[in-house]
Amino acid sequence: MRELPSTPKIALARALKKAPAAAVPVGVTADAAVTRTFGLQVAPQDGLEDWLQGAGQTGVTLTVPAGYQGEPVFIQGPAEGSGLVHVVVAPGATVTLQDSWQGRGEHLAIGVWLEVGEDATVNWLTYDALAAESAVALRKATLAAGASLNWTVAGFSHNSGASLITCDLVGEGARATVNVGVLASGSQHLGYTTRMTNYGRKTGGHINQRGVITGAAHLIFNGIGHIVQGAQGADNQQENRVLMLAQEARGDANPILLIDENDVTAGHAASVTRIDQAQLYYLMSRGLSKALASRLVIRGFLEAGLAEIKDPQLKQTLFDTIDETLVNADA
Amino acid sequence: MSTLEIKNLHVKVKDEPEHPEILRGVNLTIRTGEIHALMGPNGNGKSTMAETIMGNPRYQVTEGDILLDGQSLLDQGVDVRARAGLFLGMQYPAEIAGVTNAEFIRAAVNARRSQDDPISIMNFLKELDQTMTTLEMPEDMADRYLNQGFSGGEKKRNEILQLMMIKPKFALLDEIDSGLDIDALRIVAKGVNAQRGPEFGSLIITHYQRLLDYIVPDFVHVMKDGEIIETGGAELAKSLEKTGYTHLKAGEADA
Repeated sequence: MRELPSTPKIALARALKKAPAAAVPVGVTADAAVTRTFGLQVAPQDGLEDWLQGAGQTGVTLTVPAGYQGEPVFIQGPAEGSGLVHVVVAPGATVTLQDSWQGRGEHLAIGVWLEVGEDATVNWLTYDALAAESAVALRKATLAAGASLNWTVAGFSHNSGASLITCDLVGEGARATVNVGVLASGSQHLGYTTRMTNYGRKTGGHINQRGVITGAAHLIFNGIGHIVQGAQGADNQQENRVLMLAQEARGDANPILLIDENDVTAGHAASVTRIDQAQLYYLMSRGLSKALASRLVIRGFLEAGLAEIKDPQLKQTLFDTIDETLVNADA
Repeated sequence: MSTLEIKNLHVKVKDEPEHPEILRGVNLTIRTGEIHALMGPNGNGKSTMAETIMGNPRYQVTEGDILLDGQSLLDQGVDVRARAGLFLGMQYPAEIAGVTNAEFIRAAVNARRSQDDPISIMNFLKELDQTMTTLEMPEDMADRYLNQGFSGGEKKRNEILQLMMIKPKFALLDEIDSGLDIDALRIVAKGVNAQRGPEFGSLIITHYQRLLDYIVPDFVHVMKDGEIIETGGAELAKSLEKTGYTHLKAGEADA
């Protein structure tokens, strides 16, 4: 196996020991201007991408044409099995992208490669609600000069495994923000590695991760900010916060900054905390029971990672999921 | 009529048992239908008293009792006290994202009703709308997250909105006037005055006579060094405005 991306505290090699479940074509809902071609057309870069593409040849490439201003593009993962998709956003396009995964199975391979062309703008929402046993997901965005990406990842799956969120700021002036909100419960063992790399000059990247852990779940948040040599004027910031609700819950927040250039700004913050007592007291002082008040405080904590989700229906689904998970955890 | 009785109340900060008591034997009885004002210099126990009555877990009662209609509240949690009829308008209300103001207030209203008889959404929204109009609050504040990004004045107004929607027996209002401009002060006072009546009592903590021009109290108490050292009518507040607190000496309670 070729070299794997670095995922501190996450046993990626072990997760990749078994071959991935066979890939099934993803569903796509998009404007007619968005073209679909069969085949992934992504040259694998490392052992992880080799493994993912080993799931089969059912991948699809979507191309959003230059200057596009049309309807959002929806990608629906298969009901069972792995799924691979490649999205190319041509220069100057503005598009909202959503990939949504609720599949079942074991050893699922989920791969989404996004290329954002020059001066293109992408709002990306990733919604994971997998019912699978285990999954390894890679989502990788590559940004050209002047491109911008505003990305929210809502992690509400039931599986164990690893999720890699990778942003490569290649072109000068590219900007990306990645917000991640994860709810881990039961006996889930989940690792998130969110990597933001500044290759181009004057690029800016922000990572904001929020995780809530209940039951006997274990959640690892790695944030890797990397400014490579030559990326003058780059900015790389990250915040990783984990809220632990149960005695047996385990959480790790690992901020990592790798700086190979002088003329840059970078920063990180990380915390592993319990419920905010001042917020809890405030809600209870209005008569709300401790259980209900706690659920609202937790929702508020995760909201900081999900604030960019504007679709009220999806937001309600996420809030309902939080409530259900916590009610079950209380029971 | 309901009665809130504070009897010989001694209080410490729970995490600082080595520090002296903040409250050193407070006695006070408030009945519904009465408005009491509590004044006094900073750092003398006024907020501690309000927080302790509400049941803030930060504070520990070392002696004395707090009774609502003869029943001790000391063993009751903050949410139980709230449902029993207490309300604390806070100096620094918490901000909570992900929960809209309207959703929160409806949950608070329903917490006082039986589970199979929640308030209908139509009735709730109608009342919320009317109350917000009274308080001159823009409509969108119902859909914003609870206190999130509210200005100081908006937070205070939002406390009064909750008070009016929840309709407690006793409202403890902790510096509800601080940071308010004169128009906001008038609106907040209008809200409190709208609650006045035989079923409502209040303890208003303030530094300034100004608020008491708008909400005229039945009783004024002065707290210093963790004790109430003087009690009078509305005229006491007016005279304090002229003389300040320095001439008042701490009482000889427990001596």
